[in-house]
Amino acid sequence: MESTATLLGTLAMVARFVLPIFALVVLYRCVRSMLSGRADPEIWGYLVTPKGEVSQLRHWECIIGRARSSDVRLNFEDVASVHAVLMRNDKGEWHIHDLSRGGGVLLNGKQLDQTEQIVDGDIIRCGKHMLKFATNTEQHRALQERKREVAGWKINASTTLFFLTLCQLLLMLEFYVSLDEEYRITALLAFFALILVQWLCYLVMRTMDRSGYEPETLAFFLCTLGLCVCATATPEELVRQTILLMAGVALFFLFGWWLRDLNHVKAMRWPLAFLSLALLALNLAAAQEMFGAKNWITVAGFSLQPSELIKVAYIYVGATTLDQMFRSKSILYFIGFSAICVGGLALMGDMGAALVFFATFLVIAFLRSGSIATVLLAVGGAAMAGMLVLSIKPYVARRFATWGHVWEDVNGAGYQQTRALSAAASGGLFGQGAGNGWLKHIVAANTDMVFAMVCEELGLIIAVFAMLSIIALAIFTVKNAARNRSSYYVIAGCAAITMMMVQMALNVFGSLDILPFTGVTFPFVSRGGSSMLSCWMLLAFIKAADTRRGGSFVVKAGAKQKEADAA
Amino acid sequence: MTKVQHRAMAALLVAALILVGLGVYIYRFIVHGGEWATFAVGGTYTSGVMSTGTITDRSGVVLAQADGSSRYYADDWSVRRACYHAVGDYAGNVGTGALRSFAAQLAGYNPITGTYASGGHEVALSLDSQLCVTAQNALNGRSGAVLVSNYKTGEILCMTSNPTTDPADSTLEIADGTYLNRCISAVYTPGSVFKLITTAAALENIPDLASRTYTCTGSIQVGGSIVTCSGTHGSQSFEDALANSCNVAFAQIALELGGDTLEKYADDLGFTSSHKLDSVSTAAGSFFKDADGSPGLAWSGIGQAADLICPYSMLRLVSAVATSGILQEPTMILGERNNQTNLLQSTTANRMKELMSYNVYAHYGTWNFPGLNICAKTGTAEVGDGTSHAWFTGFLDDETHPYAFVVIVENGGGGLETAGTLANTVLQTAVARGL
Repeated sequence: MESTATLLGTLAMVARFVLPIFALVVLYRCVRSMLSGRADPEIWGYLVTPKGEVSQLRHWECIIGRARSSDVRLNFEDVASVHAVLMRNDKGEWHIHDLSRGGGVLLNGKQLDQTEQIVDGDIIRCGKHMLKFATNTEQHRALQERKREVAGWKINASTTLFFLTLCQLLLMLEFYVSLDEEYRITALLAFFALILVQWLCYLVMRTMDRSGYEPETLAFFLCTLGLCVCATATPEELVRQTILLMAGVALFFLFGWWLRDLNHVKAMRWPLAFLSLALLALNLAAAQEMFGAKNWITVAGFSLQPSELIKVAYIYVGATTLDQMFRSKSILYFIGFSAICVGGLALMGDMGAALVFFATFLVIAFLRSGSIATVLLAVGGAAMAGMLVLSIKPYVARRFATWGHVWEDVNGAGYQQTRALSAAASGGLFGQGAGNGWLKHIVAANTDMVFAMVCEELGLIIAVFAMLSIIALAIFTVKNAARNRSSYYVIAGCAAITMMMVQMALNVFGSLDILPFTGVTFPFVSRGGSSMLSCWMLLAFIKAADTRRGGSFVVKAGAKQKEADAA
Repeated sequence: MTKVQHRAMAALLVAALILVGLGVYIYRFIVHGGEWATFAVGGTYTSGVMSTGTITDRSGVVLAQADGSSRYYADDWSVRRACYHAVGDYAGNVGTGALRSFAAQLAGYNPITGTYASGGHEVALSLDSQLCVTAQNALNGRSGAVLVSNYKTGEILCMTSNPTTDPADSTLEIADGTYLNRCISAVYTPGSVFKLITTAAALENIPDLASRTYTCTGSIQVGGSIVTCSGTHGSQSFEDALANSCNVAFAQIALELGGDTLEKYADDLGFTSSHKLDSVSTAAGSFFKDADGSPGLAWSGIGQAADLICPYSMLRLVSAVATSGILQEPTMILGERNNQTNLLQSTTANRMKELMSYNVYAHYGTWNFPGLNICAKTGTAEVGDGTSHAWFTGFLDDETHPYAFVVIVENGGGGLETAGTLANTVLQTAVARGL
């Protein structure tokens, strides 16, 4: 019996060094699969001048205008910089919207009334300039769809998932050795449930003919780290955490399914905005103060952090399609909505969340307006507002005063950061082993200082991999922007990944004294039910921007794909 | 769409900033990881005490030890007090103590496996705890510092500072300045020991120094001000001027050399900069440079005015004189060999050795140092309140007992009477113990 225990102990020790290797394989395969392959432009239609000059329509949303960045450029005095927008829906129907403000668009000789459907052969007139519209043929579309790179054709997603499972098995071994007997079985079951969920999801994807599974794999990798943090810091919450994880995955599917149809999505934008404002108001009125911030409401025994759900709604409302992007009212509403959200969060004392919202606002505002001046103006305004907050809320100012000086007050203002740094360093590259750290005894170790906890127990390598996973998702999202169907998905995807990155940066660098300590969560890793749910929903936005063939369940397959494959 | 597509790149900017931040952290982790990981102050370890190994002296006497459950210091009360500054305490009060500066080695820390393999590592200091006790006893309650090293190996044999305390007794009242290791972290007015620096400069810059004579009538007029001497030395060679520690002669020499030259020698000989004793930074002194021909420059050339030096810097100089100018940089770790520094020209160093030997032979009295082949310089540094710090520094010109030493007794009176006597006591013990 004793020799079995010694053997397991030795194996667990060795597992510390093997874990980063398997994790590297997972990360490498995901990154390679997501970032390899070119995103060639695709052609969905044409505009032909009377002289026979052809402009290709390379997106589902195209701007006609004088501006240099227009998709179809008409460089003439009598054409507005953004003159009209052509939009295709997933049924293959095209609509044209007049954005010239002077009734400068004529369709087949008639004044255009805001929006009208156009068909093959229609004549569009912008100012004095005539354009004949032509769609691409059914065969061409099918050919294009087939040429489109199939997700995961080079790098099999199931093999990647197999390596992730190996990581999880190693961690199960480590926990079996390090955990109290009381929690051993629970921990093993929790990991087992995680493995089951990830393979089940994979099978569901396969039955839907989807082979792109890298974003999910990375999310499951991060969730694995989250489960480790839970098992070592609060093993009594393992069951709860596992249930929340499953709920998050379920929401991911439901929300992703909803995002498939842009018309539903657009219809629900403003109702959702009002709903979030109501939730925010309720939060302000009825929230309990926990950990210095008034951002929790307790419903039926579950404490809920509404700001986490509002995050998703915020992106949902903030993203927009091209036809609405250039209507100044639309952006004004959005700025108002943002100001209320950020202000409300600041009032609650949740500075971290307010910062995350603000950074996301900047990205959405930039994506929508393209104006660096606007963004600088917003930053300037926020800086002034920030000064005001610092002057009326001295405890926030104290946090800033500590920044960079944590070692001068190790038992006061620098208490948490010095412990985080100390624990993170003591883990070295390979960690003390899952369950063997001491940082978990410090308040908020499993949320605000979770990066240090991962460093301490699993080592710096794994912790860096966790950060790289999010960075990889960011590069992936930006890459997909090149041939996305709608700007809505591009903006939402970029906003979602930016939100995750900003959260991660504040969490990691705050606890390591590189940025002021604000107390936000590391996506998927930090303890927190609401944040787990919101992270999976944010991932749905990223999935919605995945335009590889068979890449994403959030994207409907090309209408005639099957037929084309047959042909 | 093309617009939005280009703008999406903004997200990559955030990603790039994160990578920069991560780079900053990894850099700091490599540089400071050891300090962080072994930071054991104020209850980092909520369950018990982290095992931070054992510190011993050169003969294996345990000076501090921590195992998984508790912390100990040396058994002997006098050893705890005498070695307090060199070792430090677990509360971290002495920032330069071995417990702090060697924490990473003690904990078995390395950046690859962190503290995973920690527990029971031993660091043997080069100190001789009994020699420290002898020195501390000889200080007899007076504030001051005693440093003795082996100038061939650089190993520090004695490092004691007073006021001190017993780290094992937390109920004691702590006198002001107790946490300061005066050997390496304090700066003092040097008084006449500074004449060693002026001598080095004079030897290299006044070609006919050996044939000069200096006449001392007890004082000298400099720029309308009077520089006084401790005696009336009459006509004397340079050799005798140093042995007499004649202010009149050295005021003239300082004025002849000029402020720039003196400052250059103070800088080059390491008196105005901080040094690394293993990983610990020592205090930097300062040279008061007044206008050429001014009384201020005359005074600073004889170690008064606003000159300040750290005892450790003086240990480096006398060690270099003993070894023909090539200094074996000191260390606190037994068996460790640090770099060598070319501090002095060998002809200068050898001449200074003769001069310092002559000091004892002609003036201090060899009978005060029975059996020791000692080369030294005294200092009686006036500190402005009518008292003076007593200095005595030098080395044994002895192949089997190659000791360099610095003794300072604050407000201790005459250099030879107070510090010289103390140095003799400590050196006799060192020789007797065959260190």
